[in-house]
Amino acid sequence: MLASWKQLIFQILLLLVSCRHINTTSPDPTPPPLVPIDSLPRDVRRAAFKGEGQIEKVELLNPVNLELVCTWTGHQNKESNITGFWRKDGLEIENSHLTVQLENEQYQLQQVFNIVSEENLGNYSCVFESEVKIDFVVAVPQIGEIRDKPVVTYVGDSGVITCKMEDSKPMPNTWKWYKANGTDKEEIFAAAEPQRYEIKNNERKTKLLVNNLTMADSGLYYCGAVYTLSTSMGHVELKVITYYEPLKPFMAIVAEVFILVTAILLFERSRSKKNDTEGDMMSDQTNTLSPGENNGLEGSSSMRQRKT
Amino acid sequence: MPIASNDELGYKPLDGGWGWVVVFGAHIAIGFAYAMPKALSIFYNDIQEDLECSSSEIALMSSIMLAVMYAGGPLSSWLVLRFGSRPVVILGGLMCGVSMVTASFGSSIIYLYICVGIIGGCGLAFNLNASLNIISKYFLVRRPLANGLAMAGSPVFLCILAPVNQYLLDSYGWRGSLLVLGAIMLNCCVAGALMRPVAQPPSSPPEQKVEEQPNNTNSNLKESCLKNISFFDVSFFKDRGFIIYLFGSIMFIFGAYAPFLFLSAYAISQGIDEHSAAYLLSFMGFVDMVVRPGTGLTANSKWIRPRIQYFFSFAVTYNGLCHLLCPLIHSYSFLLFYTFCFAMSFGMVFALIFECLMDLMGPQRFPSAVGMVTIIECFPMLLGPPIAGLLVDITGDYKYLFILCGSVIFTGGVFLFVMNIYNDHMLKKEKNAKDREQNQKNMEDQDHKDIKRTPKAMMEQTEFEVTEDNGAQGDLEIAETPN
Repeated sequence: MLASWKQLIFQILLLLVSCRHINTTSPDPTPPPLVPIDSLPRDVRRAAFKGEGQIEKVELLNPVNLELVCTWTGHQNKESNITGFWRKDGLEIENSHLTVQLENEQYQLQQVFNIVSEENLGNYSCVFESEVKIDFVVAVPQIGEIRDKPVVTYVGDSGVITCKMEDSKPMPNTWKWYKANGTDKEEIFAAAEPQRYEIKNNERKTKLLVNNLTMADSGLYYCGAVYTLSTSMGHVELKVITYYEPLKPFMAIVAEVFILVTAILLFERSRSKKNDTEGDMMSDQTNTLSPGENNGLEGSSSMRQRKT
Repeated sequence: MPIASNDELGYKPLDGGWGWVVVFGAHIAIGFAYAMPKALSIFYNDIQEDLECSSSEIALMSSIMLAVMYAGGPLSSWLVLRFGSRPVVILGGLMCGVSMVTASFGSSIIYLYICVGIIGGCGLAFNLNASLNIISKYFLVRRPLANGLAMAGSPVFLCILAPVNQYLLDSYGWRGSLLVLGAIMLNCCVAGALMRPVAQPPSSPPEQKVEEQPNNTNSNLKESCLKNISFFDVSFFKDRGFIIYLFGSIMFIFGAYAPFLFLSAYAISQGIDEHSAAYLLSFMGFVDMVVRPGTGLTANSKWIRPRIQYFFSFAVTYNGLCHLLCPLIHSYSFLLFYTFCFAMSFGMVFALIFECLMDLMGPQRFPSAVGMVTIIECFPMLLGPPIAGLLVDITGDYKYLFILCGSVIFTGGVFLFVMNIYNDHMLKKEKNAKDREQNQKNMEDQDHKDIKRTPKAMMEQTEFEVTEDNGAQGDLEIAETPN
């Protein structure tokens, strides 16, 4: 009896010890598996080191096995072996340290990464000897042509926000719209509120129509180009103002015009009254035609005929 | 056809004093007239998105505005002849203001065509036409300078309105901007208020004309009556100088605007970045601003004033030459040089275009003449840019646009130059023939009067003939001395 109890306690203790090992989570991000999955297509990107702060853009739409190849010609005194490793988003990838041989006067680092979901996207860097690095920004196509100034609309009017993916970049699968709510984004479902929102999707363009605007509709709106891997976002600000805003400068300028016109006409009337009292001297000056002036006038109006 | 010397104002124009204030008013009115259709292009993108129309549909709005501005010339001339310049400019300013304010509530592109295009264009037509007319009333000796200063309003206001429109668009959207622009355009009424009417003498010039020319009483009287009633004076087409001027200016207007519109697109196609391409247009504006008054001042000098028609034909030829030389070299510095020459010639032509018409027709016939000229110039202005654009679309190369515009303008300039020489030659011949006729008539009158005199009187008569001949030459000498 006692032996079975001891065996049970010993087994329980063994279980507890092994569980503690299982429960520890590593603080590092899960390293991407270094063994390629055969079903995914392979995409190879190469880059040779040119200088400091070199960034290569990698645009992906669908899951791929991404092979990144870095080459470096090395310093003046080329050693036969150097160390190289990979980083993702600034953090060192575990088990990626390699010893690189000098081949054909250059060093080459290559690695295959499994890009299957949004977490796999990011900034991959190959590093030689902790000093020479090339960054690869692996992302879905970004929306380049987007309006940077706010769209100004009026209360009660309807506003239109457009997002466009350039012709040079691949088409997204679909488009989604979000409204900023504090720091969060809320998706806009046009079907839920057909009177207020209307989304018109064209392959490369999307339009969000907001009807019957209120002041609460002001804010940031995000358009998302949806690709298999991820969604790329662009944002446009919508500003809703009342009619009183432009009316203020309008009334000010109308008042200025009215004052100026009245002042000019009054000034003229007072001057003509002064002239009347002085005996029409000005009109005499403009109306006299002396013989000498007559010749001069004739001469001046027929000036175009005078030639030497 | 009677030459310009017969169209006298009947009074000596001020040539200064309040005239400069009137020039300032004309500067504002003309500035709005030419700059507003171009400055509205800043709103195109936003209006396009809101009203869901194509870019050619929205560009048509400015074209309609410009076309109505020129086509409204005869109506404006008639109103100016009846009521004077001041009420017409004030009315023009009110119409422009109303047009912009109503346009701000628009929900369709057709509505904008009517509000901005037709009503706005009409208002601008009144502004332009009446301003030119009041300058011809206030100035004679310094008229080229006054015209140059007034026409400089176009580049000045374009440089002012472009950033103002951009600021308004960012603050209030296109609707609010149009509302505020309506108020800004009401300032044309202030310009109109400054255009004090000139005191007219009691005797009307047409009657004097009839007295001086007993040979042509009936036709002249009919013509002057027609002129006062209608605004389509067909008698202008009998004036050789007018026809020459008309042909030359039609050819110029046909080719003038297309290079202006396609300049930045051409620069970008040559590999120049957008910022530098936009800078080219502002550079053009600044050069234009300086050249117009400068040309006016030059044209006022005693060497050029008598030959102002030749100066005008030189400016047109120079403009054509610039366009022809543009496609030859493809560097940015050369493009800058081309832009400078283009702006200079463009400014020169526009500073002189109405001054030459005033010079040809004289202040009495100018109001109707300018209405006639602007409505005829409407057609090349509307046809030129689309044809040039079509050429670019078909050939895919901008150089054909420059060659087309350059050759048309250059031909126009040469035509003006040659035909002016011919016209002056014919006018001199006609004047000599008329003088001889007058002398003969006077002699016959003398014969009739002295038919009962002694032979001594006959001797005196031959002496009189000799002195008459000398006198005629003496008149020419007086006419040749500079004023």
